[in-house]
Amino acid sequence: MASETVKVIVRCRPMNEREKALGCKAVVSTESTRGQCFLQNPTAAGEPPKQFTFDGAYYQEHNTEQIYNEIAYPLVEGVTEGYNGTIFAYGQTGSGKSFTMQGVVDPPTQKGIIPRALEHIFESVQCAENAKFLVRASYLEIYNEDIRDLLGADTKQKLELKEHPEKGVYVKGLSLHTVHSVLQCEQIMETGWRNRAVGYTLMNKDSSRSHSIFTVNMEIYTVDERGQDHLRAAKLNLVDLAGSERQSKTGATGERLKEATKINLSLSALGNVISALVDGRCRHIPYRDSKLTRLLQDSLGGNTKTLMVACLSPADNNYDESLSTLRYANRAKNIKNKPCINEDPKDALLREYQEEIKKLKAILAEQMGANNLSAKPAPLLKPQLDLETEKQLIREEYEKRLAQLKASYEAEQASRARLEEDISSLRNHYDLKLSALEENLRKEAGTLCPSFFLFPVSLTSFPRQDQPGPTL
Amino acid sequence: MAAAGGGWAAVCEKFRTARTLSAVESRKDPETEPYRSKYSARALLQEVKQLLSAAEEGGEARLLAVRRAVLEYELGVNHTDTEELSAGEEHLQRCTQLLEPHRLSPDCVSLYIQAQNNLGILWSERDEIKTAQTYLESAEALYNQYMKEDGNPPLDPSEHFMAEEDKLTDQERSKRFEKAYTHTLYYLAQVYQHLEMIEKAAQYCHTTLKRQLEYCGYYPVEWALNAATLSQYYLSKQCFMESRHCLAAASVIFSQAEQVPSAEDNETEQDQQDLRQRKAEIARCWIKYCLNLLQSARKLLEDNIGELDPDRQLELKAQRKKEEDEKEKGRKKAVLFGTSDICDSVLAMEEKVSSVYPLDFQEAREIFLVGQNYVQEAKEFFQVDGYVTDHIEIVQDHSALFKVLAFFEEDYERRCKMHKRRIDMLEPIYADLNPQYYLLISRQLQFELADTYYEMMDLKVAIGNRLEELDSHTIKKINSLAQLAIKYYELFLDSLRNPDKVFPEELEEDVLRPAMVAKFHIARLYGKLITSDSKKQLENMQTSLEYYTFLVDYCEKYPDAVRAIETELELSKEMVGLLPTRMERLRAKLCPFI
Repeated sequence: MASETVKVIVRCRPMNEREKALGCKAVVSTESTRGQCFLQNPTAAGEPPKQFTFDGAYYQEHNTEQIYNEIAYPLVEGVTEGYNGTIFAYGQTGSGKSFTMQGVVDPPTQKGIIPRALEHIFESVQCAENAKFLVRASYLEIYNEDIRDLLGADTKQKLELKEHPEKGVYVKGLSLHTVHSVLQCEQIMETGWRNRAVGYTLMNKDSSRSHSIFTVNMEIYTVDERGQDHLRAAKLNLVDLAGSERQSKTGATGERLKEATKINLSLSALGNVISALVDGRCRHIPYRDSKLTRLLQDSLGGNTKTLMVACLSPADNNYDESLSTLRYANRAKNIKNKPCINEDPKDALLREYQEEIKKLKAILAEQMGANNLSAKPAPLLKPQLDLETEKQLIREEYEKRLAQLKASYEAEQASRARLEEDISSLRNHYDLKLSALEENLRKEAGTLCPSFFLFPVSLTSFPRQDQPGPTL
Repeated sequence: MAAAGGGWAAVCEKFRTARTLSAVESRKDPETEPYRSKYSARALLQEVKQLLSAAEEGGEARLLAVRRAVLEYELGVNHTDTEELSAGEEHLQRCTQLLEPHRLSPDCVSLYIQAQNNLGILWSERDEIKTAQTYLESAEALYNQYMKEDGNPPLDPSEHFMAEEDKLTDQERSKRFEKAYTHTLYYLAQVYQHLEMIEKAAQYCHTTLKRQLEYCGYYPVEWALNAATLSQYYLSKQCFMESRHCLAAASVIFSQAEQVPSAEDNETEQDQQDLRQRKAEIARCWIKYCLNLLQSARKLLEDNIGELDPDRQLELKAQRKKEEDEKEKGRKKAVLFGTSDICDSVLAMEEKVSSVYPLDFQEAREIFLVGQNYVQEAKEFFQVDGYVTDHIEIVQDHSALFKVLAFFEEDYERRCKMHKRRIDMLEPIYADLNPQYYLLISRQLQFELADTYYEMMDLKVAIGNRLEELDSHTIKKINSLAQLAIKYYELFLDSLRNPDKVFPEELEEDVLRPAMVAKFHIARLYGKLITSDSKKQLENMQTSLEYYTFLVDYCEKYPDAVRAIETELELSKEMVGLLPTRMERLRAKLCPFI
């Protein structure tokens, strides 16, 4: 159940032509049935490969269709049912992120997760009876902790992140676009994609330097058989994280999701370093969360399913990057954005309760000690059990006799007053017997019935005279 | 000198241009070509290197070696900056090799330390933290050795490519040298953090902050925020004196920033907003300080049922008297911030709130009031509209302040009123919150409201028990409080249901314990309801039994759950054994056939 929250899979692409031409060796292998991924250090051939276990491990023999059906399908299905879903893609540039997320048209089995998810959503929209849907899309990027609307009139305009008690986290001024089909959705995505900030370095031609989030908002409006209407809202976030190779140098603003084993050069990140030393929810950490984390705060916990796809290149010359991706993915398994319930670890009420039971136990132990002295060892709860049986017997006898009485009186059609009187005396008689029995037990145990300790209010302080008497 | 005259001036000029390109121009590079200036700088540095080699013969060997080392250093940093680590490493290694014999002389020590710093960074990029540590620690050791043996302000590396008349003053040299060393310490702090040597990491962060203040290398607002954050580290170590010192320094430095109007008068609305937010963040750190101090004191003072233990109180008061003298010593142990001019302001700030455990209501109240003031200050910025999560967190802290203050309050009626204040602040927030987006906070609030009502009920019961006989008003009060507690526990449990309103068969790990505790408390609350109607009483007992049974059955089905609720389970088992007896007894009092 707990694994429902964040699922992490790795996908390793086949060797590409450039790598083949360079004579690269494959250092990644997978054991898909167990979700394991192995990475061999090319400079230390004698060492055993590093091993990682995920919710899925896919290699060249698998296609995107399989991955979608096994892992992504349930998540997207959840979205159509009113859960929030988030899919992250992560990995070095050129590791197959786009191939997995966007995919190719031919062969159809390699169509990406995004078009599949969109088709899935619109299919459920079309198939649903008695329901109306509103599907809207937005596309934003976070570049150096600034939020920009990739579909907005001005894509360089910085937007503010805000929260509303009713609406949740929102980006003030972010444009929402109503979409009616997969095609429309894809067109919008294409537009936004072109507006992204893409950097050019000698190492990577189009290393993306920003995180981007494409969100499909669904509002599901249904009318039940009683004519009552229900509105459910869910969203699917498709997150493309900045290329892992850039992360140490871009946003230096306390981002929890990011590679954390590097040293920050600039003293301006001292705050991050100090923040990392502080733990526990009884402390306050200013600027603890990055924009990305805050935007996805309701997606990383609670009613949400999250999938992270970590993409790898198999080549030995990418060993360091692959290791860093795998380590990151491994940490992602434990991503939790769940402030736990504020509960006193040492609950005073609980201890009070324990105190009561302890007293009770002491009494019972004492009683057992007394029994031991008189050389009559008895099981702890025996007096009670005896009492129980005896009570039961008395009651049964009472009820039997009562039934007889009733029957005979009814047969004789005797007076009501007489019946009442007899019942009353019968009852008194048995009540006496019952209380005598209890009295005996009390003497024996030298105490009250155990439950008296546990319910001091209801029994001791309660005005007993109000007890309803028998009436006919 | 071989490269003397016009040739040398040109070399120096090229070098200077390369440095400017690298440090200044590169920041203006377009997003599409982030390393444009760095690459130009690299080309210039390589030219300089060639010019130097050409002039090599006949030159002074040591001077040339040092100049070459400077170039290797610059090239090393340039390559590392542009993600070419291996090339960067080679240059930096060559730099240290060239300097090795002279590393303790004033013209080399600063460069050597900076080269070591960069090698440390480089290795950390490769996830080889231990190697990074070696380089950085050796830089640290070299600084200490140099300061011990020489101590004169050493040359800045850039001076090796400067005309004599441009050379730096001793003051400037010292400033740059100390800055390089501050970076060493800062990088070491990070290394220790990655190696999970948290205490050492914190100590190095503290020293870094201290040095920033001493050498005026800081932005006041940023510095204040960092000091405030460090205070939170000390809280987790229960070092309240150090924590308060950081906070007081943070407030003092921050207020300096507030007083100094920004140089240009074009401070934007955004800047104002940022300033206000940072002020509120520091206030929140103060709230946590007050809260943690009170809560820690409570832990020391409470007896085994969570009440104030008077013996313990006397004992701690006696102990405190004794320790008063030793306090001075502890004071000195803490790393004090600041030069004498801000010292007095920090001290004055510190005196506004105690850093020792409060041992009675009066002392607790003083800390509470300070905390409450900061709550107001923080809420001014973090308003519910726009900052839901932050706002609620502050209100939760406010509620927690009341809760811990109530512990110190002897009078049950007044204690009850404090809990009522908690209810009054939490309930409206809860009502306005959409659980779809704030599920977790919503659950926290449900649980806290339930617990608070429970606590109030218990207090009313305790008050009632002191009376001769329970009057109907008190009974009503107790019942209604119990019902409200049940209501909120049930709301919490309902939040666990799936969209089809079905309670999960198996609970997720993170909600397991709270869910079980909620069930357990509901069971007990049903047992506490007072009614004159025996049938009703029987019903309540039956409900209570069902909740206890849930716990027992669940743990039987999922034995892994036992760990999370061991004590509650044990008690529930006892209750499941005992309750039927009591019910039987009560049932006997009723006439089943009527």
